[in-house]
Amino acid sequence: MDFSAIRLELVAALIALSLLAVGLIAPRGKREMTGYIAAIAFLGLLALAFLAPGHGSSFLGGRFLNDPLALFFKRVFITAAFLVALMSLRFTAGLEESRSEFFALLAFSLVGMMVLSSANDFLSLYIGLELMTIPLVVLTAYDRASGKSTEAGTKYVLLSAISSAVLLFGLSLLFGASGSLAYGDVAAALAKPAFGPASGDPLAVIGGVMALAGFAFKIAAVPFHMWSPDIYEGAPTPVAAFLAVGSKTAGFAALARLLFFVLPSNGGGLSLVVISLSVLSMVVGNLIALPQTNMKRLLAYSSIAHAGYMLLGLVAASRAGLSALLYYIVLYLFANVGIFAAISSFGDGGRSGEIASLRGLWKRSPFMAASLLVCLLSLAGIPPAAGFLGKFYLLAEVARQGKLWLAALALLMSLVSISYYISVIRVIIMEKAEDESRIRVPIAQKAILALSALATVGLGVFPGPLTAWTQAIAAAVLR
Amino acid sequence: MSTGYLPLVIFAAGGMLFALVVLATNWLFRPRHGGREKERTYECGLDTEGQTWIQFKIGYYLYALVFVVFDVETVFLFPWALTFKASGMVSFAEMAIFIAVLAMGIWYAWRKGAFEWN
Repeated sequence: MDFSAIRLELVAALIALSLLAVGLIAPRGKREMTGYIAAIAFLGLLALAFLAPGHGSSFLGGRFLNDPLALFFKRVFITAAFLVALMSLRFTAGLEESRSEFFALLAFSLVGMMVLSSANDFLSLYIGLELMTIPLVVLTAYDRASGKSTEAGTKYVLLSAISSAVLLFGLSLLFGASGSLAYGDVAAALAKPAFGPASGDPLAVIGGVMALAGFAFKIAAVPFHMWSPDIYEGAPTPVAAFLAVGSKTAGFAALARLLFFVLPSNGGGLSLVVISLSVLSMVVGNLIALPQTNMKRLLAYSSIAHAGYMLLGLVAASRAGLSALLYYIVLYLFANVGIFAAISSFGDGGRSGEIASLRGLWKRSPFMAASLLVCLLSLAGIPPAAGFLGKFYLLAEVARQGKLWLAALALLMSLVSISYYISVIRVIIMEKAEDESRIRVPIAQKAILALSALATVGLGVFPGPLTAWTQAIAAAVLR
Repeated sequence: MSTGYLPLVIFAAGGMLFALVVLATNWLFRPRHGGREKERTYECGLDTEGQTWIQFKIGYYLYALVFVVFDVETVFLFPWALTFKASGMVSFAEMAIFIAVLAMGIWYAWRKGAFEWN
């Protein structure tokens, strides 16, 4: 067996176990360092993922695939975990007895995401999914002093169980239709005329729809989005950030592989399902975001809308569509992490996250206000921030394929979204704060904010290198 | 659709019907005497003490969890031990890693005081 294919996962699991051990060995009073160790370890893992990732190899007879697509997603997850670990230093400062577990759970969840992006088989898919979700549930309920956090954890565990049940039912139907768990065999069986989309075999169609529903829950697409606002609001802010960027991206990683390589989506009934999910997410997410007064809830609805935009890349189901999706995922990562880092820099560690607490931020911390501004503009899709190009790539590809109405709708909803992002910016710049004192931004948060803002502007002004990379990946995996 | 599943369907339907018939017969012929004594909470033949909606000691939960660690370990050790001679050093190394990971869990539970009962 070629263990180089799972090198990154092995190292990540080792990091998780070592973090647990550090919490047990380290003398009381020196446990502060666990968070720094975690951040450094994730940075090392990221370096490994770029320098020696074990390219193009597979494991377990092709059940686990380390292709360029999986590798791209893994790098995104590790970056997210690194930034979230940095962001968590402040939240975990008060947790003397359970600090190492926080970072260990983060690392375990990361392993799950990496397995999920590499899964080429229903079993590895499901194991990755649960390995990602179960630590996230515990992390969501980590703020034991807050009733909201406990409530969020309870909701998350119940709803995850339901979505897992739906997903498993769908996978079992696909298994019944094809007689295999491996993606290649399932795809080959479904491509036969008896199961093809044209004949509309009910078993394959229902199985495919239920599998889609299971992952629509993970990416929080309407109508499977109900959990996300409550959970983003209740969860500790760094965990909400990890849910928003990590869990959602992992959902897209699995969904992309399923739609491109397993389910017969092109022209079949399933593409209609994906279009509906996308349209509903864009419309409902953006419209409900308008009246929100809590920043974390606003971000939850905005992330629902962004799931809708990203689904456009899967609707297009072409090289350009996949490349646009990958580009969007990177810019979404930096913009969201930046905003969550800003929320977590507030005095209460971002527990409330009311938009009103951002009043007069321009005077209280110009640096934080500026970075927040860049990230919000990117999500709104205003140049020169990267969000503009991301949306442009997605809409251009959808329009090129003749779905003009879909591109027009996305454009319209994007205009609607500008109004709520701008209203947050208005609060930051125009409104006066009661308390004009300066905010002391922790150094880790400063670093994340600077990196997010730089990356957001950088990707918008110099999109060349990343675009070339995503296009190369799309060309390598889609033939 | 295969017709080979028909006996299974008949079997499932028969099973459900049997349960329904038994329950219905009971319901039809049993004597009905209500009363306070009959509706009381029953626990192992003893009268319950106080409220039944009490919080259980978290220690039970921890014990059950640690037990599962040992339990799963044994479940995997038995088949491995039976095929040990055939599977060789690779499987020995794999089992060693597996047990090391579990040992890590037990060590963690130990240091966190899961084995102490106060």
